[in-house]
Amino acid sequence: MQATWLTRPGEGGNDSCGTAPGSNRTSLHDTRRRNGTNVRTAAFGQAPIDSRETGTELDRLARVSGVRRRLGRAVRATGRLLLGLLLVPVCVFGSVVFVLAFLSSATFVGLIILPYVVRLNRWIAGRGRKVAAGWLGEPVVAEYAPIRGGILARARIVLGDPMTWRDAGWMASHIVIGVIMAALGLSVWAALGFDLSVPIWWWAPLPEHSIYLVGFALDSWPRVLVTIPLHFLAVATAGSYVLPLLATADARLTRAMLATPERVRLAERVVELTETRTAALDAHGAELRRIERDLHDGAQARLVSIAMRLGVAERILAADPDKAAELIAEARLSTEETMTELRDIIRGMYPPILADRGLPGAVAALAARCPVPVAATVDGVDRLPAAVEAAAYFVVAEALTNVARHSAATSATVNATVHVHGDEASLTLRVSDDGRGGADEASGSGLAGIRRRVAAFDGRTELSSPPGGPTTLTVELPCG
Amino acid sequence: MRVVIVEDNVLLAEGLALLLRTEGHEVAATADTAPAFLAAVEEHRPDIAVVDVRLPPTFRDEGVRAAIEVRRRHPRQPILVLSQYVEQTYATELLAEGGGGIGYLLKDRVSRVSEFVDALARVAAGGTAMDPEVIAQLLTRRRVDHPVDTLSPREHEVLGLMAEGRSNGDIAGLLTVTERAVHKHVGNIFVKLGLPPSDSGHRRVLAVLSYLSKV
Repeated sequence: MQATWLTRPGEGGNDSCGTAPGSNRTSLHDTRRRNGTNVRTAAFGQAPIDSRETGTELDRLARVSGVRRRLGRAVRATGRLLLGLLLVPVCVFGSVVFVLAFLSSATFVGLIILPYVVRLNRWIAGRGRKVAAGWLGEPVVAEYAPIRGGILARARIVLGDPMTWRDAGWMASHIVIGVIMAALGLSVWAALGFDLSVPIWWWAPLPEHSIYLVGFALDSWPRVLVTIPLHFLAVATAGSYVLPLLATADARLTRAMLATPERVRLAERVVELTETRTAALDAHGAELRRIERDLHDGAQARLVSIAMRLGVAERILAADPDKAAELIAEARLSTEETMTELRDIIRGMYPPILADRGLPGAVAALAARCPVPVAATVDGVDRLPAAVEAAAYFVVAEALTNVARHSAATSATVNATVHVHGDEASLTLRVSDDGRGGADEASGSGLAGIRRRVAAFDGRTELSSPPGGPTTLTVELPCG
Repeated sequence: MRVVIVEDNVLLAEGLALLLRTEGHEVAATADTAPAFLAAVEEHRPDIAVVDVRLPPTFRDEGVRAAIEVRRRHPRQPILVLSQYVEQTYATELLAEGGGGIGYLLKDRVSRVSEFVDALARVAAGGTAMDPEVIAQLLTRRRVDHPVDTLSPREHEVLGLMAEGRSNGDIAGLLTVTERAVHKHVGNIFVKLGLPPSDSGHRRVLAVLSYLSKV
C-alpha cells in the first residue's frame, strides 16, 4: 500500500483556520498530527490552540490575532447580510413579475413573455448564489434546462424545469428571510453603536432617567462606567459568534434552495449507470447462455455417449470381449475430449491462474506466454473483486494477442495500477508496444470486445495508435 | 514402487490408488493437505509422490508450493504434480532448482494408464515428464523469425517430445521410426538451435525448456 492511499484529496493540506464553516470539512472534530505537534483546529476561525504550547507571549499573540480575525469575520458576515438585504427589493420585483407572467401564460402573449421572465429570475437567483458562495467559500452551482426551440417549447421547458420553481420559491422566501437576517445582524451593530453613543446621550437635553439599558436606568456615572463596557463586551463577543452564524445560516439556506449539482449529478449518474448495468446484464446473460450451450452440447452430450458405450461394454463383456475393449477405449478417448472441453469452458469463465495467483500472477503468466517480450509491472494490486480481475485478465490477454498478431513489435509493456480517490478505487491497465501502430477498432481486432467488456463495468477505454506507432491501450476499471 | 498420494478429493484419491495398486505399486499414504504431504514424505520416504495442485485451505497453488518445499528439504525426492490445468509458470517454478525427478501433467493423462505409469516410472528414476500442453504453450510462444521455425515438421515433433522428457527410445516408439533416425533428428535440432550437445535425460530437457522459455 502506498502512503497516498491513506490520505484523501483535500484532507492533507487543509491548514487554514479560516475554513468556511459552511464547507463540509468540519474542522471542529479535526485533530491531526502535523509535524509531530498535535494541533486542534477549532471552527469559526479561531487561532489554532496548541495544547502543548505554554509560552504566555505566544498565547497573547494568538489571542490578539484571534480577536482580530473574529472581528474581520463578523464584519464580512455583516457585509454578506447587507448584500442579501440589497437583493430583497430585487426579489420582490422578480417575484411579482414572475407571478404576473405565470398568470398571463394562459394567453399567447404570456407564453412569449414567460421565458424572458424566467431568464430574469435565473439572473436574480444567480446573484443570490454568488452571495452565498462568497461566504461559503465554494461555488453554489445550478444546472438549468437550456431554453430553446419554438414559443411553446420554450414555455414548456421553463415550466418543466424544477429550477424555475426553486428560483421562485427562493425569491419569495428571501424577501422575508433576507430582511430578518439583515435586521438581526444590524441590531448587533446598533446595540454597540448605542453603547458608544451613551456619553452623547448623557449631555443631550433629555428628560431625567430616560436612558435605559436592558431595563436598567443609566442615571449615574458609576453605573454607566460599569454597565456600558460590560454590555459592549457582551454584545461584541456574542456578535462575533452570532453574525457569522447568521451569514452561514442564510448562505446554507440559499444553497439548499438554489443549488442542484448533487441532484442533477446523481440523476445523470443514474441514467449512466442504468445504461452500463443493462449492458452488463446483457453481457452476463450472453455469457451464461454461451456456457449453458457449451456444457449442454459438449460435455453433457459426451458424458451420455460415454455412459452408453460403457453400458454396452458391460453387457457384452463376456460374449464379445474384443468389442467391449473397443467400446471402452472409445469411451476413454471421449472422456479426454470432455476434459479438454471443460478446461476451455472454465478458462473462459474465470482463468484458474487468476484464482491461484491473483492478477499479478495471472498477468505475469500472460506476459510469459506472449511471443513478444513483455515487461509487466503490477503495482498495489491486492485482491480485487473477481469480476474486475477477470475483466482485467481478458483485457490484457486480448491486448497481448493483438500485440503478437498485428503490431510487429519487438517489445511491449503491461502496467496495472490501482488508484484510490476517496471511497472509489479504480484499476488502470496500460498495454503499450513499440510496433507499427495504426490499430483499427473497426477491423475486428478484439478492441471492440475490450471496449464492450470494459463498458459493462462502467469503465473507460482509450486507444492511441498513430500510424508508425507506438500503440498504447489504456483501460480504467472501477473496482468499488 | 511406494507412492504417496496428495489429493484432497476423495474420489480422485481413491481412483488414483486403485490405478496404482492395479499396476502393482504400493500406496504408502494418502495426504489431503500440504503439511500432511510434508509429514508423509518424512515418514515414508516414498519412491514418488503424486501431488494435486489445489489443496485446502485456499485451493490455489498449495500443491506446487508444497512440492517446491519438499524438494528444498529432500532434493532427490521425485514428485509428479497433477492438475486440472497446466501453467507454464508452474512448470518453470518446479524445474527451477534444476534437479531431475520432476513431473507436471494434466490429470487427463491418467486415463492413458500405460503412458501415465511410464511417466511415473520416468520421474521416479530421476527423469522428467512435462505435459504436452506445457510444451505447446512454450512452442507457440515465439517470434516470427525464431530459429524453431527452421526445424522440419518431424524435428518439431521430436523437439516437443524431448521437452516432455522422453528418451530417444520412447520417441522412436511414439513416432514409429528407428532410434537411429531419432538420434539424427536430435542432432539436427541441437545444431539448428545452437544448443550444446547433451546426453538424453533430464539435462537435455532442461536445456530445451530453458531455451524455449528464454526467447
